[in-house]
Amino acid sequence: MQADYQKLEEAYRAWVEERARWEDREPLFTTDAGIPVKELYTPLDTRELDYLEDVGFPGQPPFTRGIYPNMYRGKLWTIRLFSGFGTPEETNARWKLLLREGETGFSAACDNLTTLALDPDCFPGIEAEVGKEGVPLYSIKGMEALIDGLPIDRMSVALVVTPMAAPAITTCYLNLADRVGIPREKLQGTTQSDVVTSSLAIMPWGAVSPEKMLKLTCDLIEYTICRREVPRWNPVNFTTYNYREGGITSVQEIALGLAAAVAHIEELLRRGWKVDDFVHRLAFHLSAHRDFFEEIAKYRAARKLWCRLLRERYRPENPRAYHFRFHVQTAGSSLTAQQPLVNVIRTTVQALEAMLGGCQSLHTNSYDEAICLPSDEAVTLAVRTQQVLREETGVASVVDPLAGSYYVEYLTARLEEMIWDYFERIEAQGGIIRALQSGWIHGEMAEAFHKRRRDQESGREKVVGVNCFVQEEEEHQPSFRINPEAGRIELERLRRLRKERDNALVERLKDELRRVCERGENVLPVVYQLTAAGASLGEIADVYREVWGVWQAPVGV
Amino acid sequence: MAGNPAGEGEVRGERPVRVLLFKPGLDGHWRGILAVARALVEAGMEVIFLGHKPLEAAVETAIQEDVDVIGISVLSGSHLEWTEKLVETLEREGAREDFLLLVGGVFPFEDHQTLRELGADGVFGPGTDTRDIVSFIRKKVR
Repeated sequence: MQADYQKLEEAYRAWVEERARWEDREPLFTTDAGIPVKELYTPLDTRELDYLEDVGFPGQPPFTRGIYPNMYRGKLWTIRLFSGFGTPEETNARWKLLLREGETGFSAACDNLTTLALDPDCFPGIEAEVGKEGVPLYSIKGMEALIDGLPIDRMSVALVVTPMAAPAITTCYLNLADRVGIPREKLQGTTQSDVVTSSLAIMPWGAVSPEKMLKLTCDLIEYTICRREVPRWNPVNFTTYNYREGGITSVQEIALGLAAAVAHIEELLRRGWKVDDFVHRLAFHLSAHRDFFEEIAKYRAARKLWCRLLRERYRPENPRAYHFRFHVQTAGSSLTAQQPLVNVIRTTVQALEAMLGGCQSLHTNSYDEAICLPSDEAVTLAVRTQQVLREETGVASVVDPLAGSYYVEYLTARLEEMIWDYFERIEAQGGIIRALQSGWIHGEMAEAFHKRRRDQESGREKVVGVNCFVQEEEEHQPSFRINPEAGRIELERLRRLRKERDNALVERLKDELRRVCERGENVLPVVYQLTAAGASLGEIADVYREVWGVWQAPVGV
Repeated sequence: MAGNPAGEGEVRGERPVRVLLFKPGLDGHWRGILAVARALVEAGMEVIFLGHKPLEAAVETAIQEDVDVIGISVLSGSHLEWTEKLVETLEREGAREDFLLLVGGVFPFEDHQTLRELGADGVFGPGTDTRDIVSFIRKKVR
């Protein structure tokens, strides 16, 4: 398409005059992040962009259009459903169901005790939480039951836990993979181990400070990647999804993710590693939220910014280091308990955003997730949602099909500027770790959430079934229920393990871990031995708590 | 603790309504209860927010601070267990009748009745408008 900008400007001005006679429904339209939206975008809105510099080709810098030249024509995104509940055996059965129905990667939703690395007998009454929000994996025994009979030699597993549990749960998995003889260089998987999730998005219980959580995550990166123990592992997922769920905008979401990545890069450089030793294995986990075009532009801007950040500051030699690899989860906070089937539609639209945005892996929410953990039926429908989009719409045939849309290119450029500005604001706070320890970022999150609440309660932000199109008499389906015996079963599993294992060896290794923590050395080698010897996640993390103390998040009303 | 300027907003006799909010168990989903806390403060109530707190300690604070309302929020699926344990703890202290008891969070609609039977005075599930919580408290606390 050709454009003579001078002629176009004249024609545009004339059109605007004509158009002014048509009245709008609202005085102002904005995106979710508050960017004012005009009624129409034309080549005038993208004239500052240089195609090769700003957009380019997929697989080439700045990667706006995607990290691989042929994207989904080659490798499709991974269908990866975040899943877990009850006991490891029940979760194993759910994972096998998902595999039969076409899932292509696993993701372990762990219960609160597991993610925080606490034992189910750590205080009275706490067994009520066993298996409720995810699968209980308190030791290598739980992990063994979870992955029993699954093709982990060729399918990747994501272990979704805080840095408190990350070294222990990862080494449970490594020990088991080593036992069955899967070569380390073939083993694929992810540990979430995200400091920001664990100190801002999901408030921790009994966790060490963000600074020490950063240390634990960097230990994992150092062990798996820098020391090449597990070269294809993703030792961290900067899970901006979880921050976004707290009510912040897409701009804040990506800026926080970049700031988190910078903190890890700086820490590993401080330890004496080179950026090329690890940066190619850093990965992200983003949200797919309500605003269709803004979300797609967000993925494009994030890829471009990652490339820019590395180019300007770190200059790695490995071209793959510049790839912004990301998993997407459709927005749980956009789902409603009212008229739950409507959630299928929300999730479908959000999944399409992720595909048009070039994700590497995708979780689609089940429609019952605003009420309970998903039923077999609901989770199967969530898998089908991805399959219908993949097989029936043509979306996987072409790379970055919305490039060249005046609006999408304008939004991509605008978001890029706004994200970088917010990223610089975080840096002005002293970086992400300082911003977490001072509570600055908690304040930002609180403001964002209260604004969202006010917008929803005033009806400014429409939510179908909640503040508009409400049904007075709704029929409620019976909800999925967690096995009430899970607490008893897991306490028994742990009791048996403690009886059978070599307790003197566990104590000796715990003493060694204590010394390692005091000296500030990498915890992974001894934690690997501890999990092999049958130490629980809670016993291992108690050593961190003892040596470094427990952190109180700076949150108030 | 957050309060409201003297003489403004919600006044019960000489003092504003006092509300204690906390998260029993390990559930790290705090946004909902923080939103409720802010809404109650904006409505002129005094809110003590404890974050994560064991039941016994929270009940002790409620008694010491002489609050009118205790509210918990559970998104972990353990709402029935924590509500039951909270009521038991209050009964053990002989203090059940001293407080209006509110339970919020993400749980099935069919559990609302069960929560009331366990002893919750008010139950607020997903999609609740915080103004409904404010008016519920105003109606019940005199």
